[in-house]
Amino acid sequence: MRLKLFREGEAFLFTLPALVPLLLFWFGPLGYIFYLSFTEWDFMSPEKLFVGLDNYRYLLTHADFYRALRVTLLFGVGTVVPIIVGGLALALLMNSKLRATGWMRALLFSPWVTPTVAVSIAWSWIFEPEVGLANLALGWVGVSPLGWLQDENWALAAVMIVTVWKSIGWSMVFYLVALRSLPAELLEAASIDGANGWDRFRGIVLPLISPTTLFLSIMLTIQSLQAYDQINVMTQGGPAGSTRTLLYMYYQSAFESFNVGEASAIAVILILICVLLSGISFLLSRRLVHY
Amino acid sequence: MNMTQLDKKTGKPLRPAGVQAAPEREAERARSRRLTPLSEQIGRILRYALLAAISLAMAFPFYWMAISGLKTNDEIWRFPPTFWPETLNWFNYRDAWNSAPFARYMFNSIFVAVAICGLQVINSGMMAYALTHMKFRLKGALTFVVLIGYMIPSTAVYLPSYLILNDLHLLDSYAGLILSNCVSVFSIFLLRQAFMQVSHELVEAGQLDGASHFRILWTILSPLIRSSFAVMILITFIDQYNNYFWPMLITKDPELRLVSAGLRSFFVEGGAYGLAWPQIMAASAFTIAPLLVLFAFTQKTIMRSVNMSSGVNKS
Repeated sequence: MRLKLFREGEAFLFTLPALVPLLLFWFGPLGYIFYLSFTEWDFMSPEKLFVGLDNYRYLLTHADFYRALRVTLLFGVGTVVPIIVGGLALALLMNSKLRATGWMRALLFSPWVTPTVAVSIAWSWIFEPEVGLANLALGWVGVSPLGWLQDENWALAAVMIVTVWKSIGWSMVFYLVALRSLPAELLEAASIDGANGWDRFRGIVLPLISPTTLFLSIMLTIQSLQAYDQINVMTQGGPAGSTRTLLYMYYQSAFESFNVGEASAIAVILILICVLLSGISFLLSRRLVHY
Repeated sequence: MNMTQLDKKTGKPLRPAGVQAAPEREAERARSRRLTPLSEQIGRILRYALLAAISLAMAFPFYWMAISGLKTNDEIWRFPPTFWPETLNWFNYRDAWNSAPFARYMFNSIFVAVAICGLQVINSGMMAYALTHMKFRLKGALTFVVLIGYMIPSTAVYLPSYLILNDLHLLDSYAGLILSNCVSVFSIFLLRQAFMQVSHELVEAGQLDGASHFRILWTILSPLIRSSFAVMILITFIDQYNNYFWPMLITKDPELRLVSAGLRSFFVEGGAYGLAWPQIMAASAFTIAPLLVLFAFTQKTIMRSVNMSSGVNKS
């Protein structure tokens, strides 16, 4: 009995160095933010005023919130889909019997390791409306120059381009690993049966790599909901709120307007969206993903 | 779990893709030389050219950053832009380096990142070991808790974390920067995944020899999964060196700025949004340089992380 207790205690001790900071900086704050979302507070006053669901009611009746929600969804779809499709396309191109692809893989992957702030600054210069590279390239194909970061119709697109650029090589490497582990005999058998390239891809390759697709879509969705650095450097949510995502709105209402309650309510909604999406993809994975 | 895949028929570990015994590879080359029809070869060349073009285009922003940092202010504002500077103004780099305490920023980033890596090796290693090779009642619950942590966007809880850090008097300090980042769900998962591959018999044998769990963990098991530790350390270092949002929130003191926050303030204040673009580009270039160098030397390990982390969701 004593020995058993000792074992329990010892194992628990092993988890403490991770568990304490985990509780202090992850799960503690998680509970705390739910509480804060029912209060009104400005960081300064001694009392937090309990206001029930007021913060949520306020958000759900204001256009700003829906605008941010729309931007978040646009940004999510506009980055996750190209990163996955583009990454897969690059991996397919690279996978088929090419030699000396190491340097290309390294170049394609390299944006992923570099600091978002620094590369966003470089991209701001590329998107410069007067002398930037982006408009030069548009000129080559006969398109008239755009205002990019200064134009509310194009700013979000510019931020999405940077985000896709940063992660597309990362997703390609995932797909390369997945494609390499496909059984070669299966593909050969299919081609003997007369399946052409597209059928083979849709019927065999796509289902077999679906675990990778699922994993990438969850990870990238969570990442897209958390995108901050590139928005902060390139547009700060502007122009006219056209790049203000829910996360950016949360940051602004907390640390610029000192509206703790409203900010917390936005964060709670963000967390719920995350949980909901993860839940949906797990359910989908039961049906669609083949392990 | 797909860290080491077994051949379905023989049960032997598969050779990693691309590694082939020499004679086999020779034979394959000879075959492809003889049998590949011309059309397929042309297709291959076209594909190679396309990929090469895309790769170069992807890396172009880095080139553009580096050479824009060498231009004069006059030249950088010319349209159409020049693809090679007329004169190489290396002093832009020196000026940028000296016009803000970049040495300090870089030291901060590296110091904080290294400290965090050290702490994460210890706490993730112990947690992952406990979750895989020790028996205790809360095991299932803890595994679940860690899994949930993987799904929740950490940026969403920055506000309450900030308040907690304030209560602990850790704002504006190295201790705060380090401690608030000293645990990572990703690291725990990565190591857990690796420890699951290690036979529990090794632990039992160690116990028979009278070794404590602590000794078994650090002297017997950890050396076996050192490649996972290497991946974990590299990924953590990169993440922390690049970290911007959270460190910026919890430090007001310019002396404590990490390199991204320092660069961003140079961009806004020193550069006044575009008046000194060559210096701004130079500063961005030398901020990125250490990471590109690190990547050049460790790209195999870093890309291996992909192999390991894609196992995380199949736990």
